[in-house]
Amino acid sequence: MPSTTETSTAVRDQGGAASAAPPGPPPSRARRPSRWWAWGFLAPVTIYLAAFYAYPLYRNVELSLREYTVRSFVQGGAPFAGLDNYRTVLTDPAFGPTLTHTLVFTAASLTFQFTIGMALALFFHQHFPLSRTLRALILVPWLLPLIVSASTWSWLLNSDSGLVNAALGVVGIDPVNWLTSPGWSLTSVIIANVWIGIPFNLVVLYSGLQAIPTEMYEASALDGATGWQRFWGITFPLLRPVSLITLLLGLIYTLKVFDIIWIMTKGGPTGSSATLATWSYRLGFGNLLPEFGPGAAIGNLLIVLALIAGLVYIRIERRQQLR
Amino acid sequence: MTGLSRRRRLAAVAVIALAAVTGSACSSSADSGADGGAYLVWDPYPQFADDSEWVALLKKCGTSAGVTVERTGYDTTDLTNKALLAAQQGNSPDVLIVDNPVISTLAEAGALTTTDDNKLDVSAMEKNLLGAGQSDGKTYGVPIGANTLALYYNKDLLTAAGVDPAAVKDWTSLTAALTKVKAKGKKGITFSAIGTEEGSFQFLPWFWGSGAQLTSLDSPQAVSALTLWTDWLKQGHAPNSVINNTQTTSWQEFATGDYAFAENGTWQLANAEKLGFSYGTIAIPASAGGPAPAPTGGEFVSIPVQKKTGRYETSQKLVTCLTNADNLLTTDTTLSYVAPVAAVQERQATADPKLKVWVEAVRAAKGRTGDNLGTKYPKISEALWTAVQSALSGGKSPQEALAAAQTAASTR
Amino acid sequence: MTTSTPRAWWKTGVGLVLTGLMLFPVYWMINVSFTRDQDMRASPPHLFPTNGTLDGYRAVLDQQLPYLGTSFLVGLGTVALTVALAAPAGYALAKLRPPGGPALSFLLLIAQMIPGIIMAMGFYAIYLTLGVLNTLPGLILADTTLAVPFAVLIFTAFMSGIPDELLQAAVVDGAGRLRTFWSVVLPVSRNSIVTVSLFAFLWSWSDFIFASTLAGGGDHQPITLGIYHYIGNNNQQWNAIMATAVVASIPAAVLLILAQRYVSMGVTAGAVKD
Repeated sequence: MPSTTETSTAVRDQGGAASAAPPGPPPSRARRPSRWWAWGFLAPVTIYLAAFYAYPLYRNVELSLREYTVRSFVQGGAPFAGLDNYRTVLTDPAFGPTLTHTLVFTAASLTFQFTIGMALALFFHQHFPLSRTLRALILVPWLLPLIVSASTWSWLLNSDSGLVNAALGVVGIDPVNWLTSPGWSLTSVIIANVWIGIPFNLVVLYSGLQAIPTEMYEASALDGATGWQRFWGITFPLLRPVSLITLLLGLIYTLKVFDIIWIMTKGGPTGSSATLATWSYRLGFGNLLPEFGPGAAIGNLLIVLALIAGLVYIRIERRQQLR
Repeated sequence: MTGLSRRRRLAAVAVIALAAVTGSACSSSADSGADGGAYLVWDPYPQFADDSEWVALLKKCGTSAGVTVERTGYDTTDLTNKALLAAQQGNSPDVLIVDNPVISTLAEAGALTTTDDNKLDVSAMEKNLLGAGQSDGKTYGVPIGANTLALYYNKDLLTAAGVDPAAVKDWTSLTAALTKVKAKGKKGITFSAIGTEEGSFQFLPWFWGSGAQLTSLDSPQAVSALTLWTDWLKQGHAPNSVINNTQTTSWQEFATGDYAFAENGTWQLANAEKLGFSYGTIAIPASAGGPAPAPTGGEFVSIPVQKKTGRYETSQKLVTCLTNADNLLTTDTTLSYVAPVAAVQERQATADPKLKVWVEAVRAAKGRTGDNLGTKYPKISEALWTAVQSALSGGKSPQEALAAAQTAASTR
Repeated sequence: MTTSTPRAWWKTGVGLVLTGLMLFPVYWMINVSFTRDQDMRASPPHLFPTNGTLDGYRAVLDQQLPYLGTSFLVGLGTVALTVALAAPAGYALAKLRPPGGPALSFLLLIAQMIPGIIMAMGFYAIYLTLGVLNTLPGLILADTTLAVPFAVLIFTAFMSGIPDELLQAAVVDGAGRLRTFWSVVLPVSRNSIVTVSLFAFLWSWSDFIFASTLAGGGDHQPITLGIYHYIGNNNQQWNAIMATAVVASIPAAVLLILAQRYVSMGVTAGAVKD
C-alpha cells in the first residue's frame, strides 16, 4: 500500500463527520520525500522479527520440502523432495472436505464473533451502572486455559449427559448428537469458537469506539439523528480502520485455531470437523508416527491463505482511499 | 546444516541483545544438566508432585547410584514430541519413561539405546509385556508396569436386572445381559471410541476377540467386531457419547451408577473403591467364549542415546534400581498397575486378591506393536479408529468402513 | 457521557443478562470444580453442585499457588516487552510511513500464521544453545511472540486515527520526533496501549505450548502447566482441573476489572483531542 494508508481516510472522515472541524490535510503531504529515518522506530521490531520468526518460518518451509521420517528428523539427512509433500496433501481425498470445513469454520466464526462483538461493544459503550465491571467480566473466558474452556464446552454439548440436550429435552426437542454426529460436529466447534472469540472483538471494537470524540455524537444528536443513523453515519465510518484490522486478525487467528477443535472432537467424527490446522497438527504431532513433511506443507498452505487475506485487506484499504 | 546453524547463531545473538533489554540478570535455573552429577529423568506422571512416593523413589535410586536426579513429569502426549525434539537437539534426558507404543517410534528414530549398549538385564520381564519394547531382535526398554482392559460391572444393577456376571462368557451372553439391563430402564455399557490411539486401544479386545488380525482390517471377523459395537449403539445398549469419550469420560459415566458395564483399565482400581455401589470385574469375552486378548498398556523405562556414552553406566544403575522387585511393587501399587515380573505379580495378588483378575488379564494380553508390526502399527491404528468412528457415527457400514481402513493402512 | 437517565438501570438489567449468558460456561466450570466424580456425568446434569466436594480446591491450594506467581511475573514481563517493541513500530507505520513499511506489516501478518508448535521448536533450539531454557526471561521473550505482531498492527490502526494537526503542533512547538512520540503520541494512545497490554497479558497467561516446551523442566512453571498435575497418563481429575482454572482466574479477573476502571478514567482524562 504505497504512501496511502488508513490515516488520511480516518482524518478525512473525522473532518467530514464533524462539520465544524477544520478541513483535512491535503493528500500531497502524505507523499513527502524519503522517510528512511523512521526505521529508527521500526528497528527493534525488525530485529525481533528476524531473530524469532525467520528461523521457525524457514524451518517450516524446509520441513515441507524434504521427506522427513522420524529417523531423519532426529538424525538429519532427509532427502530433498521438492513439492512431493504438497502433492501428497493436495491429492489426498480428505483435502477437499477439509478445505471446505476450514472456510466454513472461518467465515461463520468471523461473522458471528464480529457481529456479536460489535453489538456488545455498542451496548457497553453506553454508560450505565456496572457497565465497566460487566464488560470486564465478559473477558473472563479469556483467562481460562483453552483446555479448560474447550473441555467445558464438550461437557455442555455431550450427547447423553450434556446440559444443552437436557435443556432441549425440557422444551421437548430431541437430543442432538452435537459432537458425535458428522452433521453437527462442525457447528458445535464453531459455537465454541465464536464464544471464545467474542471478547477479542468486543475489546478491540470498544477501544475503537472510545477513540471517537463524543462531540461528534453531540453534534449529530442536535441534528436530530436517530441511533441507527448515528451508527451508520458516524460510528461505522470512523470505526472502519479498527474494524478491518479486527476482521483481518480474527481471520488469521481463526485459520490457525486447532486446540479448541482438537480438544472437543479431534477433528472427527471421521474428519467432519477437521480443518487444515487440525489436520496439520494431526499429521505432525497428533500421531504415534509423525509425518512432519505433509504436516508442514499444510501449515504453509495456511500461511498462503493468510497472505491472500492480507492482499484483499490492502485492496479494500486502497479502494477506500480512492473513493 | 551449516546455513541453518549460522541462522541459529544469528538468532542467538539477537536473543542475548533482547534478553539484556528485558533486564534479565537472573538466569537462575541451571542449564539442563548436560554435565555434572545431575541425571535427568522424564516421566509421563505429572500427577506426582515432588513430595510423592514416586519422586522419593527416584531420589533414592539416585543416591544409591551416587548421583542426584532431576525429574520432570510431562503430559503424556506432550512427552513424545518433547522426546523427539530433545533427541534432535542432542539434549535427551538420561532416563526416559514413555508409554509403550512410543518406544517403537523413538527406537525407529534412533533415539534409544538397546540393551546391548546399556547392559540392562531384562530377563525377569514377562515376554508378552517386553514385546512392545522390542523390534528386530533388539530390546529398547524395560516395562515398569503393565495395565490392560477388562469389564467393570455394577453389581447392584446386575442383581436388580437378574443378570449373573459369571454367565457372561461370550458376545451373545453379553448382549443378552445388556438387553435385560435395558428392560430395567438402565443403560448397558460404556466404553471409549474416541478418534485417537485410546479408541483403538479400547476396540482391540473386541477386534482380537473376534479372531481378526491387525494385518487384515477388513476380514469378516473384524467386521463382526465392529458390527457388535455398532449394533449396541443402534439398539441403545451403549450411549452415543462413546464416539467422543475418553477413558476418563467413560469411567465418569459408569460412576453415575446408571451403567451396567464399563470397559476400562487397571488404573481405575483406586477410583473403583470410591464408587457409590459395589462393583466387580470380568475379562472381556471373546466372540466364541473365553477371555479375549486385550492390548497391554503401561510405560517403559528407556535410556536415550547420549553424546557422552559414559553416562549409560549410571543410567543403567538407576533403571535397574527403579525396576527391582521391591521398587516395582511400590511403583505399580501407586500407579495401580500390574508388575511386569511374575514373582512380583504373585506378591500383588496375595496382597490384594482383587488384583488376581487383572494379573491374569495382563498375562493373556498382547502388545500392540508386537507381531513384528513395530512402526507399522501407528498407521494401522489410525485407520482402525477412523473406521470405528465412521461406523459408529453412521457414516458408513462396518463393512465399508473397514474396507476403507484396510486401503488406508496398506497404502502410503 | 451524561446519559444517566432512568433507562440506565434497565440497561444494567440487560447487561447482566448478556454477561450471564456469556459467562454461563464459566459457571459450568465452577460447578464441575465442586462436583464429585460420580456425579460428573449424571444425566440429567446437576445445575448446582448438590453433594459438592472441596477435594478439587484442597488439591489446588496445596499445590498450585507458586505457579500463579510465575504466571503473573511472566504476564507482566510480556506486557512490558510487547508495548516497548510494538508502540514505536506502530507509530512509525501509521504516521511516519517509511518506505518498506507496508512490506513489514505484511511480514507481521505472516509471522502470526506460523504454527505455535513450530515456533516453540525454533525457540527450543535457540534457547538450548544459549542455555536459557527454563528461565523466566526466556519464557517472557517467547510469549511476546504471541502478542507483538498483533500489537504492532493494532497500534498502527489506532495511531492512524490521531489527527496529524496534533503532531504538527508538537513539531511547531519544537519537539523532536522522539519527544513527540513520548509526550504526544503515547499519552493519546493510552487506550490502545491498554488494549494491547490486556491481550499480551491474557495470551501469556493462557499459553501452554511455550511453557511446556521451554519451561517444562524448570522451577519457573506457569499455571497452565500446573493444571497438568491432574492429567495423568490414563486419568484426569476434573474437579481439580476446573478448580485450578477457577483459582487461577480470580486474581486475573480482579486485575482486569481494576485495569478497566483505570482505562475508563484515563480515557475521559485524555479525551480532549482537538
